[in-house]
Amino acid sequence: MSYVEVPLTRLALVALLVAIAALVSRRARLDLEGSIAWAAVRGAVQLLAVGYALRLLFAYEHVLSLALALSVMTLVAAWTAARRVEHAPDRRALFWPALAAITAGGVVSLVPVFALVITPTPWYSGRYVIPIAGMMLSNAMNVVALTLERIFASARAEAPRIEQLLALGASPEQALHAQERAALRAAMTPTLNGLFTVGLVALPGMMTGQIVSGIDPKSAVRYQLVVLFQLVAVAAVAGWVAATLSRRMLFTSREQLRPF
Amino acid sequence: MGESEDARGVRSLSARGLGLAREGRNVLDGVDFAIEAGAIACIEGPSGCGKSTLLRVLATLLEPTAGEVYLEGVAAHAIAPRTFRRRVAYVPQQAPMLEGTVADNVAAGPRLRGAQPTPTRVEQCLALVGLDGAFAARPASELSGGERQRVALARALANEPEFLLLDEPTAALDTRAAERILERVRALAREGLGLVVVTHEPTHAAALGARRRTMHAGRLREGEG
Repeated sequence: MSYVEVPLTRLALVALLVAIAALVSRRARLDLEGSIAWAAVRGAVQLLAVGYALRLLFAYEHVLSLALALSVMTLVAAWTAARRVEHAPDRRALFWPALAAITAGGVVSLVPVFALVITPTPWYSGRYVIPIAGMMLSNAMNVVALTLERIFASARAEAPRIEQLLALGASPEQALHAQERAALRAAMTPTLNGLFTVGLVALPGMMTGQIVSGIDPKSAVRYQLVVLFQLVAVAAVAGWVAATLSRRMLFTSREQLRPF
Repeated sequence: MGESEDARGVRSLSARGLGLAREGRNVLDGVDFAIEAGAIACIEGPSGCGKSTLLRVLATLLEPTAGEVYLEGVAAHAIAPRTFRRRVAYVPQQAPMLEGTVADNVAAGPRLRGAQPTPTRVEQCLALVGLDGAFAARPASELSGGERQRVALARALANEPEFLLLDEPTAALDTRAAERILERVRALAREGLGLVVVTHEPTHAAALGARRRTMHAGRLREGEG
């Protein structure tokens, strides 16, 4: 099967599509032209750089280089997830819970799959591990950001109710149960919706990529299913860890709701 | 204070040297306090004087920066928080109702520790606050302000506490509903409960036959202050 390359000159042509968006923005007075241009340039530079980095990584395959790449990805995901939370007792302290939650989700979703399901040789083959880990970490990042934001916002809004439960003899876990449940459900919904509508609304990214690069759709579908199931696990685990750790931040050792 | 009363075998809730600093301001400033079972103490004072804060500290929901709360002479820090809060109940101003029926609300405390009160027990608790047993099935979200306040009181009593801390129990209630609450408070004290009532209403202390304390700028004084 042939593979159609995109030459750089033609890639430049696609930039015109961004120009169309900028024109629409000016016409409708959205005042987004600057953001559109900056996002386009930044996205292009980031992706081109990543392209070269991946090439390097795949050329010199080594456990350490893979570990380094995964660490950088996890750290950036944790930093981004923590930064997006607006209602928190201490935003600077959010990095560590976010890191723990994203790491936990990543480990649970990736290790069994690369040990038992997708078994490349060598096992640290970046070509397999990096893209799939990227999807997991990015989902974990979104779930963690949503969970943290929602738990802290609702704990603040519903502080009287939480305190009333504590006064009735509730443990912090019981007092925060309703907020934790709502936050986790909301954070997991996009992942579950993705699973419900997969193939009906859009073909998922991984499968699309494989099909475009000439892989038999039957194989591509299997890979995609692996990824989708991993995404559910990563969402559940990362969200749950984030919720548990945010509860620890919300209550003192004397089981009092921290004022914030 | 706490220790001597304990030696006499009288149940007491007390506090010594309570201080709480927030944003450079002393919300509580060296507060000493004590109440015995069967007594009522009224804490009066203008809004923002720290009386609600004092109540939350006595309920161990807020950590003081100085001093300690004692239950029967035992420091609150030496008692597990959940045990302490079952023995010292706290009803905030306009207490939020939980989901479900009035019965669900009244049963909430016991349920949190895995107990399931019988319908008869729920009715008993409702009777303590002067509400009919038929109330049990009503959705808590549909209650009036006065009814909510009484259900909150019944909910606190379902844990069989020894002391009850009430923050503005008659706020936003009409005179008739307020009188009913005060009447219940008196009845509860007669049954041996120690009650601390925070109020900005100067007539309550007399109506309750309570010892009167006034709070001003974080300091607690005997009498009208």
